[in-house]
Amino acid sequence: MAEPQPADIPEDAPTGTAEDRRAAAALSSLDTHDDASADKRDVDSEALGNAMKNLGGGKQKEAKKEVESKKVKIDMKDVSLLAEHLELSKPKVTELLKAHEGDAVRAMKAYVSTSA
Amino acid sequence: MSQSQQLPQLPPKESSLFRQVVKNYEAKQYKKGIKAADQILRKVPDHADTLAMKSLIINSQGKPDEAFALAKKALASKLDPKSEIRGMKSHICWHVYGLLHKHSKNYEEALKAFKFAHSLDPGNPNIMRDMSQLQVQIRDYQGYIQSRTEMLKQRASIRQNWTALALAHHLKGDLAEAEKVLTMYEDTLKSPPTKTDIEHSEAVLYKNSIIAEAGDVERALEHLDTIRKDNLDRTSVMELRAQYLLQLGRKEEAQIAYRALIKRNNEYRNYYEGLEKSLDLDRSNAEHKKQLKALYESFAQESERLDAARRIPLDFLQGEDFEAAVDAYLRRMLEKGVPSTFTNVKALYADPAKQATIQQLITKYAAEKETNGSGDAETNGESASGFQKAVLYFLAQHYDYHLSRDLNKATEYIEKALTLTPTSVDLNRTKARIIKHTGDTEAASRQMNHAREQDLRDRYINTKCAKYQLRNNENDSAIETMSKFTRNETAGGPLGDLHDMQCMWFLTEDAESFQRRGILNLALKRYKSLYDIFDVWSDDQYDFHTFSLRKGQIRAYVDMIRWEDNLRSHPMFTRMALSAVKIYLNLADNPKLSSGQVNGEDTAVEKKANRKAKKEKEAREKAEAEKKEAERKSGKKSTGADGESKKEDPDPEGKVLLATKTPLEDAMKFLAPVLEFSPKSVEGQNLGFEVFIRRRKYLLALKCLLAAAALDPESPVVHEQAIRLRYTLDALSEPLAIPVAEVIKSSFTLVPAQASLAAHNDSYLNENKQSVSHIRHGLKTRQFLDLKTLPQNEKDLMESIKLPSATVDDVVKGISVLKEWNSEQAVRKSFVDVAREKWPNVTAFKSA
Repeated sequence: MAEPQPADIPEDAPTGTAEDRRAAAALSSLDTHDDASADKRDVDSEALGNAMKNLGGGKQKEAKKEVESKKVKIDMKDVSLLAEHLELSKPKVTELLKAHEGDAVRAMKAYVSTSA
Repeated sequence: MSQSQQLPQLPPKESSLFRQVVKNYEAKQYKKGIKAADQILRKVPDHADTLAMKSLIINSQGKPDEAFALAKKALASKLDPKSEIRGMKSHICWHVYGLLHKHSKNYEEALKAFKFAHSLDPGNPNIMRDMSQLQVQIRDYQGYIQSRTEMLKQRASIRQNWTALALAHHLKGDLAEAEKVLTMYEDTLKSPPTKTDIEHSEAVLYKNSIIAEAGDVERALEHLDTIRKDNLDRTSVMELRAQYLLQLGRKEEAQIAYRALIKRNNEYRNYYEGLEKSLDLDRSNAEHKKQLKALYESFAQESERLDAARRIPLDFLQGEDFEAAVDAYLRRMLEKGVPSTFTNVKALYADPAKQATIQQLITKYAAEKETNGSGDAETNGESASGFQKAVLYFLAQHYDYHLSRDLNKATEYIEKALTLTPTSVDLNRTKARIIKHTGDTEAASRQMNHAREQDLRDRYINTKCAKYQLRNNENDSAIETMSKFTRNETAGGPLGDLHDMQCMWFLTEDAESFQRRGILNLALKRYKSLYDIFDVWSDDQYDFHTFSLRKGQIRAYVDMIRWEDNLRSHPMFTRMALSAVKIYLNLADNPKLSSGQVNGEDTAVEKKANRKAKKEKEAREKAEAEKKEAERKSGKKSTGADGESKKEDPDPEGKVLLATKTPLEDAMKFLAPVLEFSPKSVEGQNLGFEVFIRRRKYLLALKCLLAAAALDPESPVVHEQAIRLRYTLDALSEPLAIPVAEVIKSSFTLVPAQASLAAHNDSYLNENKQSVSHIRHGLKTRQFLDLKTLPQNEKDLMESIKLPSATVDDVVKGISVLKEWNSEQAVRKSFVDVAREKWPNVTAFKSA
């Protein structure tokens, strides 16, 4: 992939000669409206500004969720034991241990017996 | 790419030259670009940004190593001879560095570089676009949301940016937020978009699909009703509406909706299914069956050409009703001479009563024509013999089908049919198929080639022929056959083109053929190519992250992303991956194999095969050398399908792959995706056990064993593996870590802990005296526990294939078990002799 590219050359276009490219650019503009110019007319800029302010409202919820799941105490020895015997990455092991309240035996048992 | 203000600027002339370089790169005028870059560098030696641009161009010319060296130099070089600021501070250098990593598929490093570039020049749209694309490619949805939010803030007037942000939330699973973003944009529109605005039309349907995905069908329907009037995708709108109505239990309206859909496309089975449900008709209810029958009859009356309404009732009708319906159906099809008639009805054979009815009817048709054939021939002329041909063809396929197989009868009918039309491709092909089922792959291959010769321009039959040749281990003839439809000027000739075209079935069959003959290096080479093709498919999605957004086809894009996420669950992946794992297990058990030498004690066949392979290899090498010579003379480099010059493969024979020092680790590459994406594959779990027990990962071996036992509790492999695991654990020299031992103690209960394993196995053998596969694995276990039982095991194994239930497959597996046991040649020979007596035609035993 050759990048950066100018916006008017679509990735799928043959980029052989200058003429090819002009033809491709013309082709692609057939079915896409030139968004920058066309949309500006229809968009209410004031409403747009308001909408922008409302962006990203839902982020606080997630942060709370993460805090809750961090309460379980995890022994680092267990993490490396499980990582070795189950061949999982450390974050995955931690997740697995957390789901079983840090109990290594229970976590391994659950992992081994989940089929499919 | 705009220079940030605080960084030192080039002199005006060089500055414009630099812009020229960027332009040249974008227009793929690489030579010009390098020339201009060198011009700047003469004036401003080691100018970091210019070096970076130059390295990018060099990379595009196919010299990644050189490019990386130059890009690293750029990062360390000064931006201006007068200042101390180096390339590390330039977003251009980092951007280029990221692009190089992206090009070499090192996505993690590329993302790091892009993030750096982004922090140096936060507003740069090019960097942001590249970064966001990469984030969705590696499924970093959190990062993708962030990038997309920033991009939206920069250019909020573009709808694409809003849709993209919604998409990011959607992919992360936050449906409510996704919908909110889409609605926010819609609210900013002053006037409704034009009716021909496809982007708008797709975006609202996308929003509708999100609402439905969130489970709020009621609201999805409401929303759909507000947009359905001018939506451009009428089919989707109608289908969704019918579906929602049905889900909501508004059956009266659903019925009308489905009837309207059937009017548009009366062969699409799903519509009929929807209609049945909205009418509350149950196929297993006798009363409902009558209504269903009447319903489909009314549809059938509407059109003479309609198949669906005639075929569907065969699925649920029983007894006399079925007989009448299937009689009418078969007569109609056979009189027209439809070649696919058998294929259309063979699904019904799962029901033995239906199979018997069809057999009885079709035999009756054949008899009818024979008794009054001569009298009718003149009046009916062509059509009578057409019907007769179709009946004979049907009968041949009927007796060839595995649920109703009688190969003698099949042969009889196909020969009769062939006397009527000896040059028919279909008939000759079916004959080859029948021969294949007798096990005589050699004759089958010859016959399929004969079929191919009836129509040399038919690509389908050509392909079939190549497949039959591969089944008969004729790899070279198969390539020759394929070459009639490949681009042979491609680098690597026909085989190279088959790789370029990602012709998976061919590569798989080719590999399996090599594997059967013990030419493991070439088999591994093909499996590796197949593995790589899946990687290519994964990389192929890259371009669509922007392309689909620009075209506004979001629903199709989401489907694609989800398909890509489960790419390696494809059966073709499982098939080739498991074969590759088998080779690696073989290599792990017999390290001698990896040096390319086969066991010292070869049978005559293997020697012959090896000699043949060697000859083939020499011929190939010669041809290759000649080609290179010719290329050198003509001064041209061979090019691939896309016109790019191809790099030469340093290991065309797969010898490097074979010489691996870590076969089990290599096997994991193939095994892990199978265990992750196709956990229901019993064979996958069985092989997983074999790999893990050799790697001493006992918990993982146990996991595979338990999974296999849950999928197929009666599996003889589970019995064998359970005993082997118990034996291995008992014989461990060092005890396992305490928690691990505890897990095994409580989870591994398949074999009683204190039992004598030998006694346990003996009682297993006693209980399973009729199943060849159970006996085989019981014997394998006995041999594993006590090497002295070999003579008895060999004798019992031979007796087992005399059982009536034994199959050709059992013999093939038996032969490999004998090999595993290192049995004497005489034992192996007498084993094959027994098999040959029972199955005289099977090529696999003939030459043994």
